[in-house]
Amino acid sequence: MELIRPHQRTVYATVFALLVNRQDAEDVVQDPLLKALTRLNQFRRESSFGTWLIQIAINEARMRNRKQWRIPMLSLTDDKDDAKAYVPKDFEDWREIPSTALERVEVRDALLKALGSLARHYREAFVLRDIHELSISETSAILGISPGSVKSRLRRARLMLRDILAPGLGHDGRLRWASKEVRKPWE
Amino acid sequence: MGISCEEVWRDISDYIDEDLDPIQRAALDQHFARCRHCTALLDGTRNVIGLYRDQRVLAPPDGFDERLYQRLGEKNNPSRRSFLAWTLTAAAAVPLGLALFSARRLIVPAHDAQRPARGPDARQVPETVAISQDQDGKLYHVAGCSNLHGKPKFLPVADAIREGYSPCPVCIGKRKPAKKG
Repeated sequence: MELIRPHQRTVYATVFALLVNRQDAEDVVQDPLLKALTRLNQFRRESSFGTWLIQIAINEARMRNRKQWRIPMLSLTDDKDDAKAYVPKDFEDWREIPSTALERVEVRDALLKALGSLARHYREAFVLRDIHELSISETSAILGISPGSVKSRLRRARLMLRDILAPGLGHDGRLRWASKEVRKPWE
Repeated sequence: MGISCEEVWRDISDYIDEDLDPIQRAALDQHFARCRHCTALLDGTRNVIGLYRDQRVLAPPDGFDERLYQRLGEKNNPSRRSFLAWTLTAAAAVPLGLALFSARRLIVPAHDAQRPARGPDARQVPETVAISQDQDGKLYHVAGCSNLHGKPKFLPVADAIREGYSPCPVCIGKRKPAKKG
């Protein structure tokens, strides 16, 4: 148990970011931790223990998503989009949001909704690179894709999130969406 | 002439990650100095990364650690209840297995007796045996026996016995008499 304690919140953040559901995340988070404990002999030290845990967490979250959505969902942004140039939709001057804005639940919820609106493969790249701050090569190894694909997915994820959030989140960190619903500029 | 906005959008993510060579980086720097839209895009993208990097966004709810360890403990150590269930199942399986084994011993021979013979059984005396017409040994044999010399004569085993023939100890020995039907 002491082995996983330093990583349990990272594992939770991974499954939460990918499932975008607090209850599901709490249900699932124990599975990767248990698997890691029971399969310690399979840890080859090619990566850090934390990175290995994140990899297991991603697989568990994917399995959970598959169970929940037995009918394949067509993403609005599929893999073919990776190669295309993404054209930003909004050029609003959006300066730094004060950190205090995140103390408000509605702001955190808006960020989660925006993340949840991305296709899974963009979300995974964004979570590993920008939330967990893994390197391109670590992200590439975990997702089983080339470093070039990681970069293109990451670029797209960042620009799409910016397009979603910039019009809705004011300079003061207050929500400007009337309905508080996330808008997808590419729809 | 500097680079276009489209080129900036293509490289802006690598610019943020400081993953561009110095020449490319300088070209983007020059572009940002004169393009308000792309500067807003850069600020906004950095804003997004900064917001999501804050641990509060994906923080677990209150009591998460306690609930997690409780669940891990339950799953890692089988509960007393599940141990009891396994014990009872194992205890029930033993007499059931013995009963099945005994039933099989009772049923299977009866079934075999009803099964028609599919071919000559090496453990049984055939219905027709051979005797040697040139020998006085008064032995009856299975056709092909190495002890059978001279010209063989075939007759039913019952007739051979009635005529005073004994089973050949080499080819018949302790074989059981053939069953009819």
